[in-house]
Amino acid sequence: MSRVIRNPMILKELRQRLRERRAWLLPTLYLLTVSGTVCFSYYASTAMQAANRPRPMQGAEIGIALFLTAVITQLALLLLMAPIFSAGSLTIEKEQRTFAGLLTSLLSAPQIWWGKFVAAFLYLLLLLLSALPLLAISFAFGGVEVRDLLVAVGSTILVLASISAVGLWCSSVFRRSVHSTAASYAIVLVLSVVTLVVFAIWSDHWRTAGGNFSQPYPQYIQAPLWLNPFYPFISFLNEYAAGKLDSPLSSWLLYAALGCLAAAFAIRNIQRAGEQL
Amino acid sequence: MIEVKQLRKFYHHSRGLDGFSLQVGRGELVGLVGPNGAGKTTLIKILATLIRSDEGSAVVAGHDVIRDFRLVRASVGYLPDVAGIYQDMRIQEYLEFFADAFRLEGAERSRAIQLGLERSGLADRRTDFVEHLSLGWKQRLHLAKCLMHSPAVLLLDEPATGLDPLARISLREQLKHLREEGLTILIASHILTDLENICSRIVFIADGKNIREDAATPSPAAPQSTSVDCEIRYLGVRDVVTRALGGIPGAQILEASEGYCRISLPGTPRDASDLLRNLLVLGLTITSFDTRGLGLEAKYRRTFERKAP
Repeated sequence: MSRVIRNPMILKELRQRLRERRAWLLPTLYLLTVSGTVCFSYYASTAMQAANRPRPMQGAEIGIALFLTAVITQLALLLLMAPIFSAGSLTIEKEQRTFAGLLTSLLSAPQIWWGKFVAAFLYLLLLLLSALPLLAISFAFGGVEVRDLLVAVGSTILVLASISAVGLWCSSVFRRSVHSTAASYAIVLVLSVVTLVVFAIWSDHWRTAGGNFSQPYPQYIQAPLWLNPFYPFISFLNEYAAGKLDSPLSSWLLYAALGCLAAAFAIRNIQRAGEQL
Repeated sequence: MIEVKQLRKFYHHSRGLDGFSLQVGRGELVGLVGPNGAGKTTLIKILATLIRSDEGSAVVAGHDVIRDFRLVRASVGYLPDVAGIYQDMRIQEYLEFFADAFRLEGAERSRAIQLGLERSGLADRRTDFVEHLSLGWKQRLHLAKCLMHSPAVLLLDEPATGLDPLARISLREQLKHLREEGLTILIASHILTDLENICSRIVFIADGKNIREDAATPSPAAPQSTSVDCEIRYLGVRDVVTRALGGIPGAQILEASEGYCRISLPGTPRDASDLLRNLLVLGLTITSFDTRGLGLEAKYRRTFERKAP
């Protein structure tokens, strides 16, 4: 257990990562973007919509709008950043010819993986936590409970951990960072967009085939959405829109399984990485 | 210390090693030479546990490289042909990381780091970033890193590539010292003059097979040689040489062409000096008389010239 915590890879990775210029540039840009989106959402839900509504918006409605905008923007940005940190972390060792030094040391493949994973994931976690005050603004308006915040943050952490593990797996497969990063982005794109498109097509077919629109979607129609990283937020929205989707539990289980599989395959690839050098 | 038996390694379209065998004793410094693609790097990678052989066996410091790969890693220092280095780390941090990677703790860890700094000659620059070092200093730091965990065997793959002459001389001196300290060293290199100067034995490899093996510089423990090779270049007729050799039992001409001959002479270099005197007395004009025998470069050319592309 102490070897898991006192892993020299973690210190090395964090030290190298925080020495990069992007170490301070990215959090700045990230917080500016999330703040900007939250401000825009506030004005959109008050000034712009007020013109089309018979009554002014309730505080709770504004709170929910701000909260959902913030968590969705946050996840979208972090999904864009996750491959940058994880998909290049093993390939850079291959490109800089430093991997042989690691593989012939007494560090085991799981230790190398864990060090890389923690360093990539901790940085994303830092970004996520730095935006918590922005999420907390929604509490001032009401409509959002602490439980909602915990579910949103927990779900984002799980998705990011899985995507980081997938990025590391890509990094263990490819020799070049550019290929590994491209493959990671392709996977993120498939999970975020293609699953949504498939769901839209299937649900449309189901509806035209006589499906009852007032009833929840059958599980096989919802299944593609479970792989969508935004599903927990969609189902959160769903509570306020007819309750047609299941709870996000299936999605969480799928992401946990995806992360574990990616980790297992990446560790196996690291064990065999000497053949690639 | 290193025992390789009938090692085979196949790649998709080629053979890396094809029944190669090698034995290296404790404290030996053995050079591995051969053309590109001969299998040198493959052999060193197998011994360093980076890749697995398909057939045969390899034992390093008493441990099988496949079964006991962790014990092998603990006993081996490996310097790859193109060794990368963490440019954005400070010199001390770099050594600290590898001390931790080799699970050194407490006083042993501090001692290893201090020794690494001293060995590399970078103790005064410990807080400098690695990227500011020249190639020669980086190579010294690499070597210091390889020695941090006090390995019994050092595997070096083309360690002098890209180094300037002074850095090469410095590396050579370091390796000589390490050999004197009792470290077993296997070094693959194309720089034959370097190997000739420091190795106790040279192993020739081509197409993954053993080609030949030669003593390079006699080790202090090696018995005195009983014959001496003389290379003679002269102006005149060869009959004079034949006549001079006639009175020396066991002497033979190994190779001869116009104005050149290579002779094997029983005895010591002192006997060779007697032969030289005889040749001069017989009136032969000698332009060159060399008792160092065939150099490694010449041996290499003879061994591999026919295999050259």
